[in-house]
This record gives sequence, C-alpha cells and structure tokens, in this order.
Amino acid sequence: MKNLWITVLVVLGVAGASYAAFYRLNDDPALRRAAREHDAMAWLRTEFQLTDVQFAKIKELHDNYGVQCARHCAAIMKARRTNAPANEIAELEAVCVGSMSEHFQKVAHLMAPQQGQRYLALVLPRIKDYTHEGAPTVQVNP
Amino acid sequence: MKSPESNEPLSRALADWRVQPARNPGFRAAVWARIEAAGVPASWTDYARRHAAMVTGALLVALVLGGWAGREQARSQVAAERAEIADLYVQSLDAREMSMP
Repeated sequence: MKNLWITVLVVLGVAGASYAAFYRLNDDPALRRAAREHDAMAWLRTEFQLTDVQFAKIKELHDNYGVQCARHCAAIMKARRTNAPANEIAELEAVCVGSMSEHFQKVAHLMAPQQGQRYLALVLPRIKDYTHEGAPTVQVNP
Repeated sequence: MKSPESNEPLSRALADWRVQPARNPGFRAAVWARIEAAGVPASWTDYARRHAAMVTGALLVALVLGGWAGREQARSQVAAERAEIADLYVQSLDAREMSMP
C-alpha cells in the first residue's frame, strides 16, 4: 500500500514538472510584463521583435500621430459638447478612423513584412470593433 | 585411476543432454507472491519493476497531461494579455474614445 502511495506521489511530481516545463516554454514574460504595466510601446517592441532602429522610427511616428489624434479628439469633443448633428459627428469619427488606419499602415510598413501583417491583423479589427466604452489608460508615450 | 576411454559414455551422455523446461508465464509473479507471503517488504523500485506496465503508463499519462495543461494555460494567459494590451493600444490612438470632460 505504501508503494502505491509513493507511485501516486511520483506520478503527481512528474505531472507537475511537465506542467511547469511546458508552461515556461509557452509563456511570454516580456509581453505579460508590458501588458501588466499598460506599456504599449514595450509591448510593440517585444511582440513584433522590433530592432532599435524600427522602434525609434515607430515611436517618432506615434509621437507625431499623437498631435493629430489630439486635434481629432478636440474636434469630436467640441461637436459632442455643442450637440452637433449626428452626421457631423459621424463624419469627424470617419476622419479619425481613416487617419488611424493610415497610421497603422505606416507603422506596419516600418516592421518586417511578416510582423507588419501580423500587426495589422491584430489592430485593424479593433478599429471596427469600437464599442464606445470608457477612456483608455494605456501608456503610448512612456 | 580411470582411463579417459572409460569416461567416454558419460561425456557423450552429457554432451547430448538438453534441458527443455516448460515455459511458465506466472513464474515471476509466483516468486514475488512468495516473497510477499514471507513478509519481506519490497522496495519501491522492486514494486515499480513488478508493475512496470502500470507505472510506465501512469508516468506517460502524467507527462502528457501535465505538459498539455501547462502549454494551454500559458498560451491562454498570453493570448488574453495580448488582446488586452492590443485593445488598450488601439483605444489610446482613437480620438472617438476620448470622454467628455
């Protein structure tokens, strides 16, 4: 009976070791750290394996887009505040969507081709999946 | 002292002698049963050797199930966190997401 329990313990030990080894092999600590810290630029760097040069160019692109995005944001907010007609707000939002898509294309273009395609596949559907939820807290410009 | 010629029939008989014992598949189990009956505690390695098929099978199942569970758990966590940061990334660049003051 004692040997049976030892066997059970050995089997559980092997299962635990196998779990830990495969968990470690399939984990991505850098991505998870970036996600935990809401650091989008760190995420981009690790997720799409950016070189220092690519990262610097993409960061610059994001910084420049931030100015453009703030202008769009101000226009949309003003239209909402003044209860502008729905079609006017929709038009401003369409401009925002167009400029975001263009920005994402530029970012993808700076990445390695395969990574750029993966990036677009990840971000473009999220523009369409807009749900009018609360404001984000992500850190794009660390 | 006997001469080598006098041993010849015996040598021939020994040379021709072949033992062909009947095969007994339960021999090993019977030996272990007798050891157990004698009250000698078997070590775990002896136990594992006796139940080699069962122990090996259980270890293989543990290895596969443990590995599969670890892989799936890690992948699902990474996928969930990737989706979360990607959502936040896109929202941070989306002027439509800005709330009214």
